[in-house]
Amino acid sequence: MSLLDDPKAAFADLTRPEWWVLGVSVAFLLFLFVAMLTGGLSPTYFLFLVGLAGMYALLSFGLNAQWGFTGLINFSVAAFFGIGAYGTALMTASGSPIAGGFNPLVGLAVALVVAFVLALLIGIPTLRLRADYLAIASLGLAEVVRLIVLNERWLTNGSAGLRGIPGFFVGWPVLSTFPEAMPGLRLEVVPGSPVFLETPFWQASLNGLLVVAFAGGAYLVLRRAHRSPWGRVLRTIRSDEDLARALGKNTYSFKMQSFVLGSLIMALAGVFYAHLNLYVGPGDLDPITTFYAWVAVILGGSGSNRGALFGGVVIVTIREGTRFLNDVALPIDPAPLRLLLIGVVIVAVMRYRPQGVLPPQRELIWPSAVDGGGTPETPDSGVRERKGGGGDE
Amino acid sequence: MTVLGYLANGLVFSSIIVLGSIGLSLVYSIADFANFAHGDTMTIGAYSALVTFGAVGGLGGAVLGLPYGFFLALIVGIAVAAVVAVATEKLIYEPLDVDSIGLLITSIGIAFIYRAVIQIRFGSDFTRFDVRPLRPIEALVPYGVRITLHDVAIFGSAVALVVGLHVLLQYTDLGRKMRAMADNPDLARVSGIRTKRVKLWTWVIGAGLAGAGGVFLGLFNQLAPRMGFNLLLVIFAAVILGGIGSVYGAMAGGFLIGMINQLTPFFSNVVEALPIRPNWLATLIENLVTIEYANAIAFVIMVVVLLVRPNGIAGEGAT
Amino acid sequence: MSDADTENVVLRVDDLQKSFGGLAATDHATFDVERGTITGLIGPNGAGKSTIFNLISGFYEPDGGTVEVNGTDVTGMEPYEVAERGLVRTFQTPRKLEGMTVREAMLVGPRKQPGESFLTLFTSPGTAAESESANLAEAERILAEFEIDHLATQPATDISGGQMKLVELARAMLAEPEVLLLDEPVAGVNPTLAKKLKEQIRRLNEQGTTFLLIEHDMEFVMDLADPIVVLDQGHVLTEGPPHSVRNDQRVIDAYLGGGA
Repeated sequence: MSLLDDPKAAFADLTRPEWWVLGVSVAFLLFLFVAMLTGGLSPTYFLFLVGLAGMYALLSFGLNAQWGFTGLINFSVAAFFGIGAYGTALMTASGSPIAGGFNPLVGLAVALVVAFVLALLIGIPTLRLRADYLAIASLGLAEVVRLIVLNERWLTNGSAGLRGIPGFFVGWPVLSTFPEAMPGLRLEVVPGSPVFLETPFWQASLNGLLVVAFAGGAYLVLRRAHRSPWGRVLRTIRSDEDLARALGKNTYSFKMQSFVLGSLIMALAGVFYAHLNLYVGPGDLDPITTFYAWVAVILGGSGSNRGALFGGVVIVTIREGTRFLNDVALPIDPAPLRLLLIGVVIVAVMRYRPQGVLPPQRELIWPSAVDGGGTPETPDSGVRERKGGGGDE
Repeated sequence: MTVLGYLANGLVFSSIIVLGSIGLSLVYSIADFANFAHGDTMTIGAYSALVTFGAVGGLGGAVLGLPYGFFLALIVGIAVAAVVAVATEKLIYEPLDVDSIGLLITSIGIAFIYRAVIQIRFGSDFTRFDVRPLRPIEALVPYGVRITLHDVAIFGSAVALVVGLHVLLQYTDLGRKMRAMADNPDLARVSGIRTKRVKLWTWVIGAGLAGAGGVFLGLFNQLAPRMGFNLLLVIFAAVILGGIGSVYGAMAGGFLIGMINQLTPFFSNVVEALPIRPNWLATLIENLVTIEYANAIAFVIMVVVLLVRPNGIAGEGAT
Repeated sequence: MSDADTENVVLRVDDLQKSFGGLAATDHATFDVERGTITGLIGPNGAGKSTIFNLISGFYEPDGGTVEVNGTDVTGMEPYEVAERGLVRTFQTPRKLEGMTVREAMLVGPRKQPGESFLTLFTSPGTAAESESANLAEAERILAEFEIDHLATQPATDISGGQMKLVELARAMLAEPEVLLLDEPVAGVNPTLAKKLKEQIRRLNEQGTTFLLIEHDMEFVMDLADPIVVLDQGHVLTEGPPHSVRNDQRVIDAYLGGGA
């Protein structure tokens, strides 16, 4: 991502793990690209993977804004993801028991408003709690949300879920008919195995575009926030909340802001998911989603937005890789295998690299303030080689 | 069902929750982290018993509708849960160089590994112990109490284990040290208690009781790889209600939460009978106090306790 | 109280009480800190000095009594509200901000930064950038005054405990306090740095900051502070200039009785 923002300086001060991740990512992308050209991987499926990766990246960004910045142990990621998905689905889906048929932009707005209210409802009581109590309480409240979605049939259709969700661009000028309007293309890079680019492909491209827009927007907002005085107060709270209080910072308010911001980004991931999958059900609020986001963030490096992006890609690899493995080589049920891999990754990261693969490495001061512009400099040694876990309580 | 009937069910379910909450509370205070793998330790106990029982069979006679072989399986379940917990402590938690939040996160990974292994080996479907289902005890049916001899066995065994723990805590050297450590780990350390050894025994006892709870849960409902994880939050609610670190608090909390959980249908009858005004409020409460929300009620109680009495209902007020 | 009185007293502690589990940690403590002084707070171990600090700065809620800063009753306020009224404190053990450089850690100090409002970051980033530049310049100026400007870009976790104490003091100054509470500023600091700290405190005091400090190092506190408040078992035993406190029989008894 840093390549996009500042190509010149970005290469100059990459650390060794950054080089590694960059190298592996480029190799992985090349591999997928070759697979696509030779017909081994359908371009539509590739774009679906991009969509999923973007979605997990969004979830991780949201969690990073809470745990990575401020040290809030939020175990209700799945609830905000689900509320985002249900919020837009209830407004737009033909199968919605209460509204339905609205433009997806209305769905997006409603989803964000509902997520905002839920964030306040969960945050107001729990953000005063000790870190470990927050973990337990937020997991419990997320479960309450899941039970409500499951049981209040008049509102959510219960276990049947919501069908008939339109694509996000329905009703937009040009874009709503774009997939149908595009001609079907036939590419033959390797003789004998042609690649077809037809309506589903163009539909998937639109989704890819949407997730890049969502994730890119979230990334830019978080990046600015992270290196601002606002972000610095959050990082102080993470290390030592009492110090922030003694210096005159209203820590409860800052924690609430960080919690709400993260929750809105998670809801955004849910909105995208609803219009990607075109169906949502109570299963989408399963706590496993919460822990996928957690793995992505601690693997990537708590507090690092690039790390969260990397973590998101790893999660998709685990999710889809186990499915692929099951189809091709080992007939093992992918669900427990995924669970096993997630568990092993958590334990391995905590054991061998508690600060994550790409911990934030640079001094975070408002860029233009440091010596009249340019990029912040890299200190001699990694300042952020912190141990896993949060500030002491 | 009558009130007596709900109370009887509550007593049985409470027994299981109590067995789970004691270990969670002990580990929370002595090993100093919220162990999210505790529920899955219960699952390990249940499945170990399942395998053992399948291998040894009934072994002749039976007590309370349960063959001797089942009791052997129970002991194996307890032992395996304890051994797995100690191995995890030695191989994973002890070498870690992270704070208690780091341990908490690690324990989620451990929970997933436990559950994944069980699911890979046994599949994700429900299964049952191979014991003949019993009819409710005839003599109690007229009172509206529909419990089986198995339920009596669960309650009896839980009481025996809890009494055993009480004796251990009150009358042995190890028990006194454990109570001291649970009370104030730092003080215990400076006063020369070999904390490492006490910690290890804490894992043995906590996980062993959890294993027993898992076996009984399997007998009470059925076995599934998610059984323990699904119960984890209810157990956390019990521990927090009783006050973290207090064994007797955990017993009381487990008892209360288990009772509330099983009495929810009764409460829902009560709510319907109450003259609540305005009507919308009555409808709302009637909709929320239903069996579907039995767990949700426990979680809400937990959050409220955390807010107003973070040291538990029996502990000192908020500091 | 008269107007002149209010003007001279920057911090007034009146009949403050706090007990833990039936044990009185602060027992009807009453004292004033006059503007422009360096007031020392001493007492044997367990006299309740840290408890008083926590009560004054809003970290504990008192069971009874009042705390006034600049004539405003701050009893029961949150720590940040107390800080907003001009009272800032430091902690006994230096708090390390993991993942920050020294100057980054310094920048947490200034109060009411425009860039601390999330909305301002996006509605008027220019204002945030401007104040950040000004704060950074100020931070570097203060670091230079403290003669630790060479540490500016070091990781805050890599500097020595003594240097950390200096950084803490420097950071607290960025919050522009009227009265600064220092909890054992030279505990565990080598003599050279301790001397430097003393000079800095004196210099800042001459520039107008009032200090209230807890310190176990008698020589340090007797040399720096005047007046000195002596605390014993949660209440004020006596107060006065160093020489009279030093020779007060009750103070000597308290220290001997306290086993110190």
